[in-house]
Amino acid sequence: MIWVEILSRHRDVVGRFRVDRAEITIGRGYDNDVIVDDPYVAAQHVRIVRDDAGRLVAEDLGSANGLYLEKSRSRCARVVLDGVQPIRIGQSLVRIRESGHAVEPERLAGSERRSLLVWAAVGLGLVLLGIDALLIWFGQTSEAHLSDYLLPSLTLVGTAAAWVGIWSLLSRLFAGRSMFLHHVLIAEAGMLAFWLYTAFAQFSSFALTLPGVFSYQYIASWLVLAAICFLHLREVGRTHLVAKGVVVGLLLGTAIAVQTLQRSEAFANSGRQTISHVLMPPSLRLVPLRDEGAFMGDIEQLKSKLDADRAEVRKTSPDR
Amino acid sequence: MELSIASVLRALRGWGAVAAVLCSITQAAAEAPSGAEGVYASAPPRLLQIRTLVADAGRQTSTGSGFLVSPDGLAITNYHVVSDVALEPKTYRLEYTAADGTHGDVSLLAVDLPNDLALIRVDKHDAPYFSFDKAALDGTLQKGERLYSLGNPLDLGFTIIEGTYNGLVEHSYNEHIHFTGALNPGMSGGPAVNAQGQVVGVNVATRRGGQLISFLVPARFAAALLERSRARNPAPADLRKDVTAQLAAWRAELYHAFAEQGFRAASLGTYQAPETRASWFECWSQTNASASPKPRASINSTTCTADASVFVASDLNTGAVQISNSYAKSTDLNEFQFATALSQLAQPRLTTGGSFRKWYTPQRCVEDFVGLAPSAATNDGSSANAGNDSKMLVAAKPSSAQLPLRVIWCAQGYREFEGLYDVVLVAVTQDHGDEALVSRLSLQAIAYDDAMRLGRSFLKGLQVVR
Repeated sequence: MIWVEILSRHRDVVGRFRVDRAEITIGRGYDNDVIVDDPYVAAQHVRIVRDDAGRLVAEDLGSANGLYLEKSRSRCARVVLDGVQPIRIGQSLVRIRESGHAVEPERLAGSERRSLLVWAAVGLGLVLLGIDALLIWFGQTSEAHLSDYLLPSLTLVGTAAAWVGIWSLLSRLFAGRSMFLHHVLIAEAGMLAFWLYTAFAQFSSFALTLPGVFSYQYIASWLVLAAICFLHLREVGRTHLVAKGVVVGLLLGTAIAVQTLQRSEAFANSGRQTISHVLMPPSLRLVPLRDEGAFMGDIEQLKSKLDADRAEVRKTSPDR
Repeated sequence: MELSIASVLRALRGWGAVAAVLCSITQAAAEAPSGAEGVYASAPPRLLQIRTLVADAGRQTSTGSGFLVSPDGLAITNYHVVSDVALEPKTYRLEYTAADGTHGDVSLLAVDLPNDLALIRVDKHDAPYFSFDKAALDGTLQKGERLYSLGNPLDLGFTIIEGTYNGLVEHSYNEHIHFTGALNPGMSGGPAVNAQGQVVGVNVATRRGGQLISFLVPARFAAALLERSRARNPAPADLRKDVTAQLAAWRAELYHAFAEQGFRAASLGTYQAPETRASWFECWSQTNASASPKPRASINSTTCTADASVFVASDLNTGAVQISNSYAKSTDLNEFQFATALSQLAQPRLTTGGSFRKWYTPQRCVEDFVGLAPSAATNDGSSANAGNDSKMLVAAKPSSAQLPLRVIWCAQGYREFEGLYDVVLVAVTQDHGDEALVSRLSLQAIAYDDAMRLGRSFLKGLQVVR
């Protein structure tokens, strides 16, 4: 017993035929065992037989457009079939499997796994809202209003819902399943990563006196965004992962390059770095106090930088 | 509340027509009646309208006034009336128009940037001219004396404005005469004379937001400039160098005077904050105690400002010095919230006196935690070897006795003026999570070494008193 499966471009089965014969013919004509409605397929296109070793082989019956293995560009007169790689006739993909073809073990009914995902998504969501509220609370120096907390939280929820909704829709369109929970988790993980980096940047700019970490925050945000986009794309369809990775990587590279350029031009225009000087509770300080002399030494070194800047701008501006 | 030399010029630009109105003045009164009529009768032939023209186009970009001070055509005006020509001699040139309608070229001989004066030569011989008032030169002029300020306001024609001499302006580094009278744009560079028609001062500025409050440059600076430079004949490019050199020298002198006066400790909450002893600062206090809704941290600030800025170019006014100390104490903010409030207070904010792209190099900052020697050990901040003292004391005392600070130092250089920088130093005490002193010292147009010296003695003025 042999199963002939017509596949979509995304390798989904769109038609499946059971045939109990030693030789099977496939074509557009009605005298075939399996009919493929594809104008590029010949009336009698291909036949499936067993060779001497008992393997299934496909043989071209003299069609004009020929027989190919899946994506291969070289036309074959005869192909040995393995039940995994489909053959291509005309513009159609056809996969032939024997009844003994091994299938994946039974997947456990999702209840436990699914509820775990639900709990993870809800839990992570609450953690994010909590962090959001905490940051607002820390930044609150005047009278507290309920709306100060509600509005950002709702904005956050709304944005996340819209983002996840779009990806779920794409999944539904291309993979047939919305994978809603997966998308929610991916988005939440991305947001958490971004916040962790921001917190780390603020902390290190104060407690470790490393303001540089702060100025690269935009790179971190783009990296996180690219990572979650890739993961979302992976949920939408697990095929072409390399191509998706390359596209996301290219977009990431472009975004970082453009923003770096924009920042350096903004700096050249305004003469100001866009970072602010963060203060935190004194007890968070991790580095030892420096003595005044050493700090004054730093200040003295700054002079040579300023003078180098002056020489630089003088070179570019016309002498009057 | 600031001296607005710039506002004078800004309004002055764009007033197009030439003051041919000057001709309508009667040439009577050789017998010189006293008071306004006398001045009005005798002054016009001695006055000039000075116009800056774009050399290629031959059209005026700004106008001001000037007055003859010698029979051979030397005249005094404001630096800010001729600054374009001093800085960009290839782009601009000067022309004068006299009361009788004659006009001709003006050559710029010398400038006095700190006092906003310039000496020019016009092509006039044996013309009547102004002499300086002896009492004004000696500084013995009586307050309340009638003065007459002359000029051509807003290009409307020759005008005389009567006012009162009110002595020198207090809390000012540069000497200015306080003249109660309505100076208007376009009168810059014109003379203010006594009833006998002798020059007491040169019109320079009005105060924005005041009524009839105007300022004159004392005549002795004009007389000195005349004496010093009457024989000069500089190449056009020399004047630009003069401007640069005068700016640097004047700033160095000002900051040395500032450093010599030193800082004294003023109590602010549980801290001692450095305040200047110099008399030319104006200090104001601010509190948020009466704010509504009730503030969650009380912030009391004292800000001392020296408006020692001068007009350098039509788009650069620089030289302000400011010291500000804010004591903040949390009433019901937690440590994180309080730190947020302090962050807002402590942003360095380098204020610039002109457009960045034209005048400044990019701003650079250094930021770190600094441990300061304990209060009992500090001596007078003005002492020259104070830096070494403090280092020894740091080594001698346990570090717990240090006053921990977060210090931010930001600076930017001037593109054109080698050796001059704008600097701001912000120090935030880090010994408590719920109270802090935020001290800020901003210094415009200062030599870097001077800034470091002042910064060091400023930091030394920070102490805890508990």
